[in-house]
Amino acid sequence: MFQFHRTQNSLPHGVHVKEISEASVASAALVGADFPGIHPSFKVAEGEHVKVGEVLFTDRARPRICFVAPMDGRVETIEFGARRTLSALVIRSDTENVTKDGTLDPIDVGTSDKTLREGLLSSGLWPSFRTRPFGNLPDPDSVPRSIFVHATDSEPYAIDPRMALENQEEAFHRGVELLTRLTNGAVYICQSPGPVLATKSSRIKIFNRYGPHPAGLVGACIHAVEPVELDRQIWTIDAQDVVAIGRFADTGCYDPSRIVALTGPRAAPSRLLRTVPGASIRDLCRDELGETAPLRVFSGSTLSGREAAWLGRYHRQITLQDAEPESRQRTSLIGRARNPSPCPIIPTRSVERGLPSGFFTIPLMRALAVRDSESAARLGAHGLVEEDVALLSNLCTSGSDYGKLLRNVLDDLAEQI
Amino acid sequence: MTGKAALNTFNPLAGNQRAWTAGRVTLVQTVALLVPFIATIAFRGRTVALVFVVALAAAVFWEILFAVIRRKPPTAHGITTALIVAVFVPVTVPLWQVGLSVVMGVVLSELVFGGRGFGFLNPAAVVLALMSFSFPGIVFSGAELWIAVATVPGLALLLAAGLVSWRILVAGSATIVLIASLLGAPFLPIVAGSGLIFGLVFLASDPVGAASTDPGRWLYGILIGGLLAVFGDLSGPETLTNALVFAVLLASIFAPLLDHIVILSFAWLRERRGARSGG
Repeated sequence: MFQFHRTQNSLPHGVHVKEISEASVASAALVGADFPGIHPSFKVAEGEHVKVGEVLFTDRARPRICFVAPMDGRVETIEFGARRTLSALVIRSDTENVTKDGTLDPIDVGTSDKTLREGLLSSGLWPSFRTRPFGNLPDPDSVPRSIFVHATDSEPYAIDPRMALENQEEAFHRGVELLTRLTNGAVYICQSPGPVLATKSSRIKIFNRYGPHPAGLVGACIHAVEPVELDRQIWTIDAQDVVAIGRFADTGCYDPSRIVALTGPRAAPSRLLRTVPGASIRDLCRDELGETAPLRVFSGSTLSGREAAWLGRYHRQITLQDAEPESRQRTSLIGRARNPSPCPIIPTRSVERGLPSGFFTIPLMRALAVRDSESAARLGAHGLVEEDVALLSNLCTSGSDYGKLLRNVLDDLAEQI
Repeated sequence: MTGKAALNTFNPLAGNQRAWTAGRVTLVQTVALLVPFIATIAFRGRTVALVFVVALAAAVFWEILFAVIRRKPPTAHGITTALIVAVFVPVTVPLWQVGLSVVMGVVLSELVFGGRGFGFLNPAAVVLALMSFSFPGIVFSGAELWIAVATVPGLALLLAAGLVSWRILVAGSATIVLIASLLGAPFLPIVAGSGLIFGLVFLASDPVGAASTDPGRWLYGILIGGLLAVFGDLSGPETLTNALVFAVLLASIFAPLLDHIVILSFAWLRERRGARSGG
């Protein structure tokens, strides 16, 4: 049978492991790539000891937004990126020289909406939210049109996010209740098919979203329910962050633990790990990294993730893959891939399906390619972020990085507002 | 059937291996064209191969020249143009006329824009239209039943690969049949023999020249059917393939406009819906 692409089920390995193993790491980092546009104002210096939940830095433009330590330890390095953005802040656990004792004072979220907001801001949970349009951190006082809880996934080698929520239903419910206090609209829960994750009400709505990629992207859910408008924000949040908010409301303490899947063809075997955001990937997959065959390590999926040393703040999986031998990088005999000049966009059906249904893919790709922000906005580009167009880069004949092209257009649109 | 399969396809190798390249598109289109080409040789003799060689040489020469000037590696996209021309052009046409038309058509429709995929017209349609203009009296073949039969395997391949849109084929054929049955014209026997299928698949449904939104593709197919009826009726049934060439050319020129109309109307609808629900 003639095969055009490598066909693959959404869950090729079908991670069936239910048990979650504890994975302790020696170091963790906050990486600037997760927080584009944030200029940090540091509250700690290199070499200082920090407790989990302690504020490391705040956003210089919006000082109420705090970023906190994911683990106890010593601040090993602080690296700046371009224009005084954060490159990485690395914390290394330092069990011998603990100078600080005890835990941080619990924060009371109280009963009013204002105290809840302040609690989320000062506890470091605020960066759980990201806005559409633009995919930034929301302003501390902004009120979204609605909030989308992302509890489904269709990325390659993804696991069902439901697995990470098991035995945490109560905290999840509590978190969802709290979310309704941040918006005047609805809280949508985009879940994989199965029992409902939260009780339906006039403010809490459940959507079953599952199917081949890109159906499980939160952008696809939003576009199906409430297409993004430029002047009215929608917030998105990962299901596990909702659990963290629920638990924070009960205890008053920041609990950084999250469950990630270690998956991909080279994971031996695919498994669930309980760790912290920013954890050192090297520490998490010691077994696999010991092998001699060359390996590529992605934080996130192979599509929308990045090759990284640290687990991304918003990533749910670590994908391990064979490194491609050089010779396979040539794509075909005709039309050499070594061509450095731009390649054309030839509409094929597979690339047209690279965006969630409801988008005119080819015109949008053309608008992005020439940075025509007006046309792109007419086609709904402001409702997308990089992860939504990651598949296009892979399927389009042009080989352009649509994530970058989209970000250019989003920057233009943000300036116009 | 194939839709579901295509939905499931993605390449898990991010960045380093693309599922489709322009070269691979041309490769699949070439394979799809092989059966009609071989059938044409079988029915019309070996001179067809000569037509192909001349057309290919003309296309490739200019392709290489442009590649040298632009300092890009040359591509082999001209092969599909040459194959389509070889099937359409009768063997009685002098070879220099074939070569000249191919040069003009390929340069004007794709090379000046930067190569295959950067223009907005199907180069083969432009070549045939220029030939028809410049050397009056040429009657293109391509409306015989055996070509239609020979097209079927290629059509299946292109449909499976997602390189032709069934919407264009259905809209185009349905419009032709509808108009033909309304007119009751001498049209009907040819349409019934679906002799136009080769042109519909390889000229009208070319992904570069066609509309690129699904509603736009319906409109584009209908436009081709309508224009074919107008042109075909004017020049008589024996030159129906010539009429198809011009119908495709004109419809391709209007395709971006059709897409634009579709996008504007959808944006308008969305705004109206948003205004109603958002208050």
